[in-house]
Amino acid sequence: MPAIEVNKLVKQYKNGVRALDDLSLTVNSGEIFSLLGPNGAGKSSLINILTTFYKPSSGKVTMLGKDLCREPAWVRTQIACVAQRVSIDEHLSLMENMMFQSKLYRVDPQAAKERIHSLIESFELSGYLKYPTSSYSGGVKRRLDIAMNMVSFPKILFLDEPTVGMDVDSRKAMWKMLLKIREEYGTTIFLTTHYLEEADQLSDTICIMKDGKELAQGSPASLRSYIRQNLLRITFPAAAEARKYKDALHHTRFIKFASVRNNSVFAGAEDVRAAFTSVNKWLLEHHVEFDAIEITEPSLEDVFLAITGSGETREEGWVC
Amino acid sequence: MLNILWRNLKWRFQNPISIAVTMLQPLLWLVMYSAVAGQTMQNTGISNYTAFILPGVIVLVTFSACCSGGIINYIMKSRGSFYRVLISPVSRSSIVLGQMLEATLVSFIEVTVLCIVSLFFSVKVASGIAGIALMMLLIFLTAFFLSSLAYAISLFLPNEVIYETIMTAIILPVFFLSSALFPTENLHGGLAIAINLNPFTHVINVLRSLIFGQMISFIYLLPVIVLFTAMCCGSFALAMWRLKKETAQ
Repeated sequence: MPAIEVNKLVKQYKNGVRALDDLSLTVNSGEIFSLLGPNGAGKSSLINILTTFYKPSSGKVTMLGKDLCREPAWVRTQIACVAQRVSIDEHLSLMENMMFQSKLYRVDPQAAKERIHSLIESFELSGYLKYPTSSYSGGVKRRLDIAMNMVSFPKILFLDEPTVGMDVDSRKAMWKMLLKIREEYGTTIFLTTHYLEEADQLSDTICIMKDGKELAQGSPASLRSYIRQNLLRITFPAAAEARKYKDALHHTRFIKFASVRNNSVFAGAEDVRAAFTSVNKWLLEHHVEFDAIEITEPSLEDVFLAITGSGETREEGWVC
Repeated sequence: MLNILWRNLKWRFQNPISIAVTMLQPLLWLVMYSAVAGQTMQNTGISNYTAFILPGVIVLVTFSACCSGGIINYIMKSRGSFYRVLISPVSRSSIVLGQMLEATLVSFIEVTVLCIVSLFFSVKVASGIAGIALMMLLIFLTAFFLSSLAYAISLFLPNEVIYETIMTAIILPVFFLSSALFPTENLHGGLAIAINLNPFTHVINVLRSLIFGQMISFIYLLPVIVLFTAMCCGSFALAMWRLKKETAQ
């Protein structure tokens, strides 16, 4: 049984904005499902509906086999949501926050104690027990926020951009934690994120949406196959040189499109193998200093830009 | 409900200034104003002016304490826990009641302090224990009505600055257009009508009758209890409706 089934969901606000437009998607039980989309795609509207905060204008949402609109009270007992903003009560201690949350979900006091101790261990929070929560760093507050939301052992955990504003180390620690939640507790995780790398690393399924509609849904590998072609990657000694040669390469007849990422130019071509030889020759003839040239698989970022049409250098023909 | 009440009380006692500030103005009225104005009131037949204004000051402190209860909504909204509680399986009525009871409890604490202070001004409740019990019932009804009204208004208004401005704009006219400070028997015309239309005039009058009178007149008391019970039901329904609207967007 799928954890979430969304069928032709529409959300139109009173001001006329149609945030969700016939959106359909399926989230399987026990998976990490990532929702990707540019700002204004409708991600927050969707998560607000799925967590019973907003009501849909039309369409059907089934969660764990029950209709969300008919049984929101039951659905609330099965889910938890880590919102974009950390939601701990800073006037309560770590333990009090956990106990408060367990009582909200009517967890048996003895079971709550056991769960809290286990979560404190799992989320490496025991070192913070004696300090006031207001003194915690952003990363620790976020960890407590997630641990708190796990105290009811939700079947589905929603996370709305949980790593936004985090440094690289904290973000990686968070990824580890999310994988642990799925493995140890079997929780279905529904995640919205702006970070493509995050979605790529964590997700079993990714849904890319724009303008309230789903554009593509599948595993990271299957999404990569959407653009069905490999790319040519030319690495330069510095990013400035990559930017300098991007346009020159783009104007050669071998390249269909080109984009710059760090100190590399990623180029697409009709026949990437033929382009590999031709570009190599062009670079040598023009005495261009470069470090490497290779045929590479498209990244999730390439897929995202291609599907959402957000790429600056994308050409119309590149859309799958 | 008790969980929410406990959480809010924790916040309140960690921020005792929120209790002190709401109590300061009523305390000044009780101590300083009664001392100054009491001398000019000696010829009006009021034996103890502090006892005379105590019911009005009780209503004023209840108003202030309940208004500060609405502020908690803004704090919880800005910190994100408002949303977390709303998507939890707690019943909507428990969310509203938990918060309202906190404001009611704070009102009682502040009223108790005022009553203790008024003892130093020879204020006694002539109707005895039964009178005190009835006073507690009336204060509870007043606090319940005001806290649910404050709860609903705090969800209507976009931020705490506008909320505080509006609540201040409501409190003072309600206080002055009542029998809180002066006897109103000799008033005529529009002012008398406005004062009589103010429900707080009636609760103040009943509280005053319990302080000064040895006999309890239930004919005088019951209509006020019925009126405030009806007002409590109305304001609670309004608070519930407003909270449900938060999730009906």
